[in-house]
Amino acid sequence: MHLNSSPNRVQFAGNAKLEMLIVVAVELLCAFLLGTFLLSDSTAIIVALLCLMGGVFALLQIRPQIEKSIVSAFANQRILALVLGFVVIVAYPFFMQGSSYAIHLLIISLLYAVLALALNFQLGSANIPNFATGASYGIGAYTSALLAINFGISFWLTLPAAALVATLFGFLLGFPSMRTKDSYLALVTIAFGIVVHQLLNNFSWTGGPNGLVGIPAPSLFGHSFIRPIEILGYKLPSQANFYYLTILLVIFSILFAKRLHESRVGLAWNALRADPLAAQCQGINVVWYKMLAFGVDAFLAAFAGTIYAFYVSYISPDNFTFLVSVTIMTMVIVGGMDNTLGVIVGAFLLTLLPEKLRIFSDYRLLFVGVVVILFLVLRPKGLFPQRIRNYGQRK
Amino acid sequence: MTQPVLETRSVTIQFGGLVAVNNVDLTLNSSEILCIIGPNGAGKSTLFNLISGLYRPTQGSVFLDGRDITGWKPHKIVSLGIARTFQSSRLFNDLTLIDNVVIGMHTQTSTGVLRSLLLPGRAKAELSAAAKKAGELLHSISPELFEKRYMLAEELPQADRRRLEIARALASKPRVIMLDEPSSGMDDRDTDALMADVRRVMSERPGLSFLIIEHDMRLVAELPDRVMVIDYGSKIAEGDYQEVRLSPRVQEAYLGQKAANA
Amino acid sequence: MDALFAQYILNWLVLGCIYTLIALGFSLLFGVLNVIHFSHGDVSMTAPFFALAFVQIVVAALATVLGTWSIYLGLAVGILLTGMLGIILDWLVIRRFRAAPAMMALVATVALGSVLRELIRALYPQGSNPKSFPSLASGSIELGGVTIPNFSVLVIFISVAMVAALFWMMSHSAIGIRIRAVAEDRDIARLMAISPDRIFAVTFFLASAVGAIGAIFFASHAGVVRFDFGVQLGLIGFSAAVIGGLGSMQGAILGSLLIAGIDSIVQITVPDGASYRLVFIFALVILTLVLKPSGILGKPVFEKV
Repeated sequence: MHLNSSPNRVQFAGNAKLEMLIVVAVELLCAFLLGTFLLSDSTAIIVALLCLMGGVFALLQIRPQIEKSIVSAFANQRILALVLGFVVIVAYPFFMQGSSYAIHLLIISLLYAVLALALNFQLGSANIPNFATGASYGIGAYTSALLAINFGISFWLTLPAAALVATLFGFLLGFPSMRTKDSYLALVTIAFGIVVHQLLNNFSWTGGPNGLVGIPAPSLFGHSFIRPIEILGYKLPSQANFYYLTILLVIFSILFAKRLHESRVGLAWNALRADPLAAQCQGINVVWYKMLAFGVDAFLAAFAGTIYAFYVSYISPDNFTFLVSVTIMTMVIVGGMDNTLGVIVGAFLLTLLPEKLRIFSDYRLLFVGVVVILFLVLRPKGLFPQRIRNYGQRK
Repeated sequence: MTQPVLETRSVTIQFGGLVAVNNVDLTLNSSEILCIIGPNGAGKSTLFNLISGLYRPTQGSVFLDGRDITGWKPHKIVSLGIARTFQSSRLFNDLTLIDNVVIGMHTQTSTGVLRSLLLPGRAKAELSAAAKKAGELLHSISPELFEKRYMLAEELPQADRRRLEIARALASKPRVIMLDEPSSGMDDRDTDALMADVRRVMSERPGLSFLIIEHDMRLVAELPDRVMVIDYGSKIAEGDYQEVRLSPRVQEAYLGQKAANA
Repeated sequence: MDALFAQYILNWLVLGCIYTLIALGFSLLFGVLNVIHFSHGDVSMTAPFFALAFVQIVVAALATVLGTWSIYLGLAVGILLTGMLGIILDWLVIRRFRAAPAMMALVATVALGSVLRELIRALYPQGSNPKSFPSLASGSIELGGVTIPNFSVLVIFISVAMVAALFWMMSHSAIGIRIRAVAEDRDIARLMAISPDRIFAVTFFLASAVGAIGAIFFASHAGVVRFDFGVQLGLIGFSAAVIGGLGSMQGAILGSLLIAGIDSIVQITVPDGASYRLVFIFALVILTLVLKPSGILGKPVFEKV
């Protein structure tokens, strides 16, 4: 899961072997710890893992040199990191001991990672508040589900259709951003999110509060996604189908994010974030770039929505509330604005914490709230702060 | 007579009852430096904001190369060739120096969303070419700034902030650069360096003109070809520095009526 | 006058008053601290619970002495405790985000709101269930053929009195002038020997206590109160403050009356209006901000360049 550590080569004349060791160790260790976390039922182990994570971030805070060495190791051993990361990701379901619950958690985390990446264009890159990502997510889900249920359209075709509809919604949402900003713009997006949620809840053709049921499972080359995968005598639960599909979407989103970040568009968004007025005076069409951020956010969110709808085969308005949008915002801010790895980690953390803390049953949301506040106070720049562009040159 | 690069014809702007700029005619010729002076609150920065399109004049027009650009959006005006700096040096603080200059080249580059997604190679190549040029530009302004190019802009001392802003403005290959109090926060040595910078930049770029708002009279006496004085939003004098400073109206504006008469 | 029409007007005014009491807090906090305190609705909503808890304890202990007055004592205690809760939350959490980007403070206070709701749910006996909340005034008066519930009279009377007191305080009292000084410029206020921290505490107390009254009216109006009522009430109060123009107290009142107006009209005229009321309220919010990007009474921001 380190496909994206943007190359940030530091003068680190470390020898290649050490760097390779660091890359392998970090990737395998992260994979192992995540797996343990997913599979464990024991309160003690989960709490211990959380403490360990807290400890690691505390250590990184105190000794930035460690983080630097890891980052530069990944930058210098990019190919190894990518190949190993790919192998780990592909092989991961095989280590889930056939637990469909663990794979389910992974899928949900990955979908939220996509949503967080989507919002990151706005909130992270351009500092435009958007409390309606949940609505775009919902519009994607409902569009594709309605197309599939009413017209029998294949999942693969509903994907682009949903993306198109959601993108149009995104531009509509962005329209008031021409004139409103800050808290006022935040409220406009909140209002849009609530209107969408309430309409989904009230229209009869969206199934009202009961939502839509019986969304058919996709299939690929005759293999239906509700069937288990059988390879070389191994049998993976049917969720694995969606795991691989979601992984593809995450890779797509990371590439999307990376390409935009490393282009003139990403820079223009960053300029907008720092100072919209000065950005205008550098020739940046502020209105267009704001609208664009809204469009891109909705575009990616729609993909996540479509996969979610077909995965659980049942959607209702309550999957797409204001609080879902707030959760996505929190993922971006806790993870680290404008840092791809950061927002993915933020998404995993905030998806898995409430799930794994079911042991605290009644207190889990309380606990999550406290953790979020602590994170914001203790690590205000997020788990992984923004990195510096190096334009393919050595620093 | 040759056509001026930049011209305003009786531009006026009112905020509520306050006339911040009143009927100002301004001409700036090619390869010329014009300094605008006047007491605080006289409307100098507002005039800049009118020219750069941040405000829309209540009356009057702005021309660039004889073309009416009144009411155009700021980003359009930059692409036509008017760049500026700000009184309070508005850099992109959380970005590196090199990022700041590359953003200044926004109008010189063209990648949009589709190209950056579908042809990432070309998008990246364009940006690294821009970064290379930006580096050269930064180096030509100041080798020390070039050395610090991966530093965040917020870490720069005041004089360097001014220089970076000038570099950023130059990056858009403008015909006219407007500097809003470039020497504020600078000591004499920095100001000398600034004047040298402006002269060198002009000699390297034939046809480039400067419009400078300034308070430092040493700079006003030495650098510009012409001086224009604004008070209470209106132009009260224009011409050579030596003439302008002897004008009774200018003395009155700066020193008060009694002192001017004394 | 048409009696039914009068009822509608009355209903509109009651809702408008409740929303105003919440919206004023948002406006006050934004005006003075420049912060969006998103958990303001949840903070306010603790007041009915404080009151109920107090009444239960007191009733158990000395009901015979106090009788029906225990509920009013409970309310007073609830308002006071909620005001103090505002100060405590500022001290614990919100002040840490004074210099942070606006969105961080927003997200932090959203998280804070969820913590508050969950605390009520966890600490209050059977906190997940709705609790019935007594009506503060029963009976009604007849006026020209129109039945006016005493509760409506009480809400309107107290709200108007509160607003008047607040306005008087801000313009005439020493503390009000200090609050305005800090709102204008913290650093200069400090030079005038005004301690911004103390003013912030006072502001938090005021905003939370006024919000508490609104929440108590809301609970009493609905007859029940649940741990998560603060979310919607907070959103509506926030919307009212924003469309009125953040930081303007008059704007908060205007925004509240507008939102309460559309709320009442939709419930009467639109078929199935109760389910569509939020659609209309938030559509109004969007429309207002598209037309007036800084709210109705908010001053358009001319950024100094």
